[in-house]
Amino acid sequence: MLKFILRRTLIMIPQLFLLSLIVFVLAKAMPGDAITGAFAGDPNATEERKEELREKFGLNDPWYEQYGRWIGNAVQGDFGSSYMYKQPVTTLLAGKVGNTVLLALFTLIITYIIAIPLGIVAGRWTDTWADKLIVTYNYFSFATPLFVFSLLMLFLFSFILGWFPIGGSVDIKIEEGTWDYIVSKMEHLFLPVMSGALLATFGTIQYLRNDIIDTKLKDFVKTARAKGVPERKVYTKHILRNSLLPIAAFLGYEIAGLIGGSIFIESIFSYPGLGQLFLTSIGARDFTVVTALVMILGTATIIGTMLSDIILSIVDPRIRVE
Amino acid sequence: MVKKKLMMLVSLMLVLSVFLAACSKDKEKVEGVEKEKPDSEKIEEVENTEELSFPVDVSNKDAVLEDGELVYALVTDDPFKGTLSPVFYDDTHDATILSFFSESLLAGDGDYLITNDGAATYDISNENKTITIKIKDGVKWHDGEPVKASDLLYAYEIIGHPDYTASGYVFPTNNISGMTAYHEGKADTISGITVSDDDRTIAITFEAPSPSILSGVATDPVPRHYLGDVTKGEITIEEIEGSDKIRTKPIGFGPYKVKKVIPGEAVQYERFDDYWRGKPNLKSIVLKVVNSATILEALKKGEVDIAGFPTDQYLNAKDVDQFELLGKIGFTYTYIGFNLGEWDKKNKTSIMNPKSKSADKRIRQAMWHAMNNEVVGKEMYHGLRVPATTLIPPALGFHDAENKGRSFDPEKAKELLDEAGLIDVNNDGFREDADGNELIINFLSMSGGEVAEPLAKWYMQNWNDVGLKVQLLDGRLHEMQAFYDMIDTDRPDIDIFMGAWVAGTDPDPSDIYGRESFNNFSRYTSEKNDELLKAGTSEKAFDVEYRRDIYNQWQEMMVEEVSLAPTLYRHDLKAVNKRVTNYSIDPGSPNSDIWMWGVTK
Repeated sequence: MLKFILRRTLIMIPQLFLLSLIVFVLAKAMPGDAITGAFAGDPNATEERKEELREKFGLNDPWYEQYGRWIGNAVQGDFGSSYMYKQPVTTLLAGKVGNTVLLALFTLIITYIIAIPLGIVAGRWTDTWADKLIVTYNYFSFATPLFVFSLLMLFLFSFILGWFPIGGSVDIKIEEGTWDYIVSKMEHLFLPVMSGALLATFGTIQYLRNDIIDTKLKDFVKTARAKGVPERKVYTKHILRNSLLPIAAFLGYEIAGLIGGSIFIESIFSYPGLGQLFLTSIGARDFTVVTALVMILGTATIIGTMLSDIILSIVDPRIRVE
Repeated sequence: MVKKKLMMLVSLMLVLSVFLAACSKDKEKVEGVEKEKPDSEKIEEVENTEELSFPVDVSNKDAVLEDGELVYALVTDDPFKGTLSPVFYDDTHDATILSFFSESLLAGDGDYLITNDGAATYDISNENKTITIKIKDGVKWHDGEPVKASDLLYAYEIIGHPDYTASGYVFPTNNISGMTAYHEGKADTISGITVSDDDRTIAITFEAPSPSILSGVATDPVPRHYLGDVTKGEITIEEIEGSDKIRTKPIGFGPYKVKKVIPGEAVQYERFDDYWRGKPNLKSIVLKVVNSATILEALKKGEVDIAGFPTDQYLNAKDVDQFELLGKIGFTYTYIGFNLGEWDKKNKTSIMNPKSKSADKRIRQAMWHAMNNEVVGKEMYHGLRVPATTLIPPALGFHDAENKGRSFDPEKAKELLDEAGLIDVNNDGFREDADGNELIINFLSMSGGEVAEPLAKWYMQNWNDVGLKVQLLDGRLHEMQAFYDMIDTDRPDIDIFMGAWVAGTDPDPSDIYGRESFNNFSRYTSEKNDELLKAGTSEKAFDVEYRRDIYNQWQEMMVEEVSLAPTLYRHDLKAVNKRVTNYSIDPGSPNSDIWMWGVTK
């Protein structure tokens, strides 16, 4: 197992290196740069000043020199400075990554809490009214755009019922470190998490349901039944263990997707996180932030898939056979 | 069972239709516009409603509640940047956050000209080259230290510093004597700035006299004792930029102190009891970011007291009881620019090209006359945008209200084009150029927002109607960065382009229209233009009436020459809860000063 993890980690290095190269080249190929956008429509900006700044930030150098400089610093943990935010990228991201991870983590947990039981019920009691209800919900969540759903949740629970705050990550008037502070954070998290989780369940439910239906007919299940294993045990011990495989395999992608895919949620709930930062920095050609973020997402994906593989090898002994 | 199923389906449909209704409301409007727009015959159907006008002061005149609290919304879909220093910020949202706790030493009047009513007084001497600023007694930083003249000097030392990269290094700051040498690292001090021994008075001498000083001189001090001194090597520019002292714990000398910042999300202010004007009315203010999709509901619910209001939701907000809308025409104007030449990089000057497709000014005049901006303003912007007349927007005192610009007049446009020799020779419905060759005008327009595309198509249709064949450059709209990249690099096949300028408080237009300004994207030049722009900033122009006359002449000339055709001015709206009092968006009103703002409930 250790060898497996070590090998995967070593493979990560060239993968990340390649990723950084591609991202860097693509970012540079976009029209305009941080200076163009920052001074667009500003009559005060003279051409000399813009050139002076480009020179200062090394934006006039050929891309390979810029890349060399960047990767040299990045290896030492210095991802440069954001032009737009005027602070080191690491500081900038550190302030937001916490919010995003919190959001992603809770969304993931709630998604599974909802999806796994529903998937099992739908798979075990196929074609009952419960199954049909779940499948309907599934189609519904699959088809509903996230931003519409979030707005509706916000409208209903914040504006009409007034149960939850309209946005932000915490009430500014509450002192840090108190119990109220944690409660306030949770209150602010609830709607964004529920909006994300209720719609994110469809993949898990669908896979689980289909897999259980498939597995039900497999020979080893018949054998188990034939030798008199009680029905409940057939499901928990024999079917579920097999059917959870694809879910485990998806976990890694799920994590990466949640970190990058929370743009709408973050924007609608005015919740400052990485997703929003990603969009704004692409628009502003804030290259240092864009590359750093892609690297983070890339790393999250790679680690996520590794995680999936590890989980798979635990639940499925066949994978461990080399 | 069947019945049950049906019921479920019905209820599902109901839920769905609520969704659809919720999201289609705004869209419908835009789609409707898109369909209607290119049909010029609809013009007659546009109602001749009165032009919109909004109050600039709140109607609530009740007594101010002691120790009230107010919530101010920053309406944006992105977190704010949070560079909270008057010399380092670049962004309008940060500017708003700053305005509560930081001010300029010299106050401005309704025309944005400096006055003696602020925390300092001024005097101009030395043939109008030197401004002497004297800080009044009792002006204190939030930490209790007095605001010193050397703190203002510090602002200039940072802005001029070779490592400084924010947007403060502009005219007239870069015109201070000795600033260039300091900026290039050749001098340790700025020779044109002297501070008196008692540290209350600062004298700033400029290379040349210019009335722009009266509106453009930077007087925002920076707390040297709090941030640390860059000139003594205590801290670097980069360290200040990243420092908590300008991000989460900034200080100023304005009416409210920053108590707490949640980066990108919210700021909490509390009253500064030692404010130099007196005790501010409110006990505390919370400023928070609110998404534009939810601002209307937040206002209705009273969760927010003051908010900049998005144009596209105006129709839903007109008759709401909880708040009132204040508005005035802002500094921004949209324009159609003509590619009349190119930028000579070596000599840093614009050169006109007599072969340009719109080199004949009658063509440019005709294209302005052909645009029906009234319909655009009324239909696409609900009347919140109005046809623009001159290149100095009405927010500035130097706008010539008498000058009506060029109104929508397709017949006049056709006449002008006929005169210019653009005749449809081959009867394909479009005019050929003066030599009888086919004329296709390439139009560069920016994407972004739902209106961008219908707007571009509407203008193209307007020009088609007078016989000009206009097509989108590359057949599509271009994203903002690509747009400015193409403009900056002078892409030769651009013939006309649509952009927007935000005018500064200084009326001098030479930064956009001067011969040697790169921002003169049209590359229009003329002797008369040079002459007027120079006269407008000459020593004689310290006389406001003289200056006004010069700028009236310049606006007149530009309506004749049309280097850019201004299209629309914008109403900027503020939604204000009815419990707010002493609030005004008129820069000349004392209630525009934040310390006066109050609530009555």
